[in-house]
Amino acid sequence: MNMKRFAILALILAFCIPSLSQTGTKKKRPLPYDFGRVVINNYSENSELSPVVFQHWIHRSRFTCRVCHVDIGFGMKAGQTGIRAVDNERGYYCGACHNGKMTVDGKPLFAACSRKAGYDDQKRCERCHSLGKKVQSDQDFFTFSQPLPKERFGNGIDWEKSEEIGLIKPAAHLDGFTSPRRSLAVQKDFDLNPKVEGMPDIIFSHKKHTVWNGCELCHPDIFMGVKKGSSHYTMVDISEGKSCGACHVSVAFPLTDCQRCHSKQVQP
Amino acid sequence: MTTYVGRRVMVAVLLVAGFAGSSVFARGAPEPQGAQAPANEAWQREFDHVCSRTQDAMSFSEEELVAFVRRCDALLPQIEKLDETRRKVYVGRLKMCRGLYAYVLESKRNEKK
Repeated sequence: MNMKRFAILALILAFCIPSLSQTGTKKKRPLPYDFGRVVINNYSENSELSPVVFQHWIHRSRFTCRVCHVDIGFGMKAGQTGIRAVDNERGYYCGACHNGKMTVDGKPLFAACSRKAGYDDQKRCERCHSLGKKVQSDQDFFTFSQPLPKERFGNGIDWEKSEEIGLIKPAAHLDGFTSPRRSLAVQKDFDLNPKVEGMPDIIFSHKKHTVWNGCELCHPDIFMGVKKGSSHYTMVDISEGKSCGACHVSVAFPLTDCQRCHSKQVQP
Repeated sequence: MTTYVGRRVMVAVLLVAGFAGSSVFARGAPEPQGAQAPANEAWQREFDHVCSRTQDAMSFSEEELVAFVRRCDALLPQIEKLDETRRKVYVGRLKMCRGLYAYVLESKRNEKK
């Protein structure tokens, strides 16, 4: 009898101790080809389709952030835009480029949603509606990233340098969407003091951010503070997707790459 | 007898025509012009004019910024009349554009304080 009780107790302990020793959940770091992956499921499953899997790396190599998030009008959070099939079919959102007419590298881009889609179009639908499916993409991440300068985190690609040396040329204009505008005057970089002893200052590259994003993508929605120093940003807020975290958690280089921002030497 | 057959044929023709007609209506009104269409509507020309200047916002005077904010406000009711897709796209874009002008305006006013 005692042996039986002992065995039951041992079993309970064996199951409970490991769960007690862990506090919180450990976040799994996404693999380079999955970094920036967005799953959109506003209406897909209701229409008996798999949710859409969007890969940022393919798209950001072709266009600046501004083209998609300002000119085309995609929101900054998954599902925020509420994209419907009919919107795409009318030539907006994904349909702005995926219209069967636009060509990339000499090949026409597959058309996005269509109400006329039949059984034969299933493969085309699955190009985007691919969550949980093994879909062969035209674009292979490793072939694409192989010649590009490397980074330690995120996609493992130094996007800024890739553009600087001309290996990628993200377009800042999309016909029919981008309002005709002059090129942006170069903005000065500035430094921000993190107010933590020994922590290097943050050098904020206004130039790079404005070239890729324009002004209205960040101000005032993401950065509300009007006067420099009037708003306080904490790493906790940032890691929750606020301020810098709107991009630097899941798409642009991640927060683990501390020195990319905290880059100014501490003065002795 | 001939009349009876004729009637049946007529009914059949009418039914077919009715179905065809209903399928036309089911597709709804003609689709709005594709996004690739040139900006040939008055609201779109005004939108392009107002929102293509956001990168110059810092160089505008307070009066100019106030004028841009007002032009954005005047555009909103016109955009709200568009079909659902275009309304969603352009209301969002206008909000960003107006937001920036208002933000820079506030920033300039704060500088003076």
